[in-house]
Amino acid sequence: MATLREAIAARARTGKGSLLAYLMGGSVPPETYLETVDVLCSAGLTGLEVGFPFSDPMAEGPVIQKAASDALAAGMRWEGLLRLLPQVASRVPCAVMTYLNVLQHRGIPVALGDLAAAGASAVIVPDLPVEESAAFRSAGRKVGVDVVLLASPATSEERLRTLARRTGAFLYLVSRYGTTGVTNEKSLEGARTGPELSPLISAVHRDRPGLPVLVGFGVSTPEDVRRYRAMGADGVIVGSALQQLVARKAPSQEIADLARALAGALEETHG
Amino acid sequence: MPRRYGPYGGAYVPETLIPALQELEAGWRSARKDSGFRRELAQLQQDWAGRPTPLYPASRLSAEIGGAQIFLKREDLVHGGAHKLNNALGQGLLSKRLGKKRLIAETGAGQHGVATAMVGAMLGLRTEVYMGEVDMERQKPNVERMRLLGATVHPVTQGTRTLKDAINEALRDWITNVETTHYLLGSAVGPHPFPSIVCDFQSVIGEEIRRQSRRHWGDVPDLAVACVGGGSNAIGTFHPLLSTRTKLLGVEAGGDGTGEGAASLTRGSPGVLHGMMTYLLQDDEGQILPTESLAPGLDYAGVGPEHAFLKDSGRVEYTATSDAEALRAFHLLARTEGILPALEPCHAVAVAVERARAMRRDEKIVITLSGRGDKDLEVVASHGHPA
Repeated sequence: MATLREAIAARARTGKGSLLAYLMGGSVPPETYLETVDVLCSAGLTGLEVGFPFSDPMAEGPVIQKAASDALAAGMRWEGLLRLLPQVASRVPCAVMTYLNVLQHRGIPVALGDLAAAGASAVIVPDLPVEESAAFRSAGRKVGVDVVLLASPATSEERLRTLARRTGAFLYLVSRYGTTGVTNEKSLEGARTGPELSPLISAVHRDRPGLPVLVGFGVSTPEDVRRYRAMGADGVIVGSALQQLVARKAPSQEIADLARALAGALEETHG
Repeated sequence: MPRRYGPYGGAYVPETLIPALQELEAGWRSARKDSGFRRELAQLQQDWAGRPTPLYPASRLSAEIGGAQIFLKREDLVHGGAHKLNNALGQGLLSKRLGKKRLIAETGAGQHGVATAMVGAMLGLRTEVYMGEVDMERQKPNVERMRLLGATVHPVTQGTRTLKDAINEALRDWITNVETTHYLLGSAVGPHPFPSIVCDFQSVIGEEIRRQSRRHWGDVPDLAVACVGGGSNAIGTFHPLLSTRTKLLGVEAGGDGTGEGAASLTRGSPGVLHGMMTYLLQDDEGQILPTESLAPGLDYAGVGPEHAFLKDSGRVEYTATSDAEALRAFHLLARTEGILPALEPCHAVAVAVERARAMRRDEKIVITLSGRGDKDLEVVASHGHPA
């Protein structure tokens, strides 16, 4: 199986966008989780972010918060993640997304070593800004886990250059001011979507040609995909929209339809 | 302005907040050098907030205990009834200087929410406060006060529905509305530069203690005691005394004795929560544990990073005491001194009187009485009156 970095790079080389999905590990039984992964894979998924729950997920909207508390209530533990990951990794390249304290508590080198051994090729930690990431990234390099950094519309051009240089696999561009989720419930303006991202994306492409930029947070429709592709994104990350379907036990046809529609929108445009 | 206190502190936050934290740090660096800003703050501290607060010799309490002389630093007399206003006023002026139109805050006991609502009203800034549902129920008078002051109170229904979750929700709001909003964080916690800024604004407590104790007995206290939740009244008390010979003692909430209470320094281990590296109450997988204390203002699984450093360095001693001891201290202070204290500083009073017994009669203890107890009357009454 290719690493997540290789899978995204391969698609970018041929002008194709990548579709990443996020599903909270432990929020549903492993069999259901893997069936959903299979459905997503046959719809054209490039890679999966396996969420690992933290009790206090500050960047998450209501859907992922609920998924995290459900997973913890169902007894999800690190061991459970290490059992799930190889089964996911045999299907699709994957990353783990969780909060710093979970990894910190275990010891960063040990935690990243565990993830690598279980088949994850990248890790995404939303509360790890680049300033605090040096030791983390060097631990990742030792075991072959890419540390994906996040940028946001608030990021200055100068910072963006630093992020582009230091991120692994791709740059995760947060689409807007806000937490994860479709509605962006705390936005005073009720703005579901964010600002124009093309200047940020082209700055990254100019600065580090070949580094894919994937847009996430609030991506839920083919229109979103078209908009971000038109802004120059190399792909999108879909989390809450899918997690919501899984949480309410939607028929796999419905999940397949959404994934196919998103993947289809990625094929339409060539960035 | 230290970014770290030894290994503790830092700024572990989503990228969206980094520019706002940088802007806040730059704003505070320039404000604190600006004599106009300092003058305006000093004037409002005096005319609006009622500073300086007295250092009161609690002679009946001292006589009852029989030991060191106990003095109370009367932060319960600050406008609004708690030390929280020291920081809310400072940050309110700072956010106005930064051009922010809206204040958000978290609150546990409601005192920080009330302080922020008062400052918001006085400065003409829209104010919204996140408060856990559990805390709204047990601190009803403060919810009403915030509303009367024109603030919106958002009930927090996630997680343990207490202070920790209110901070999560305020952080999520800030991530979403960071361009127009200042997050007026109420304790010496969170990402850099909040712990430094809160310490700076609360240090007025310890600075006054130094001046007043010199006037009262010509020396610094032998022992200063403060309660520690997030640790803002304690850091404000301790920081100006760090370079003196005064022994410093922080008292955490031990809860009802069935669990860890909320004693992150005495019973926790290092980790990362709410943007800072500090001591946390967490399980063997790094998940944050629910806390419990009769005092909502102490009911928090983390603690300010400077306290974590001061614990490791040994400069400050930290201990914990139970709900029951705090309640006993409440009644003791009420009956000997005619003061109804908040349940939070009752923890400091409880341990301080124990220490006083073992000290000489010419020694001096200062207890920071961080707030008044009106908000707690219902809770105290529900535990019955002492015989």
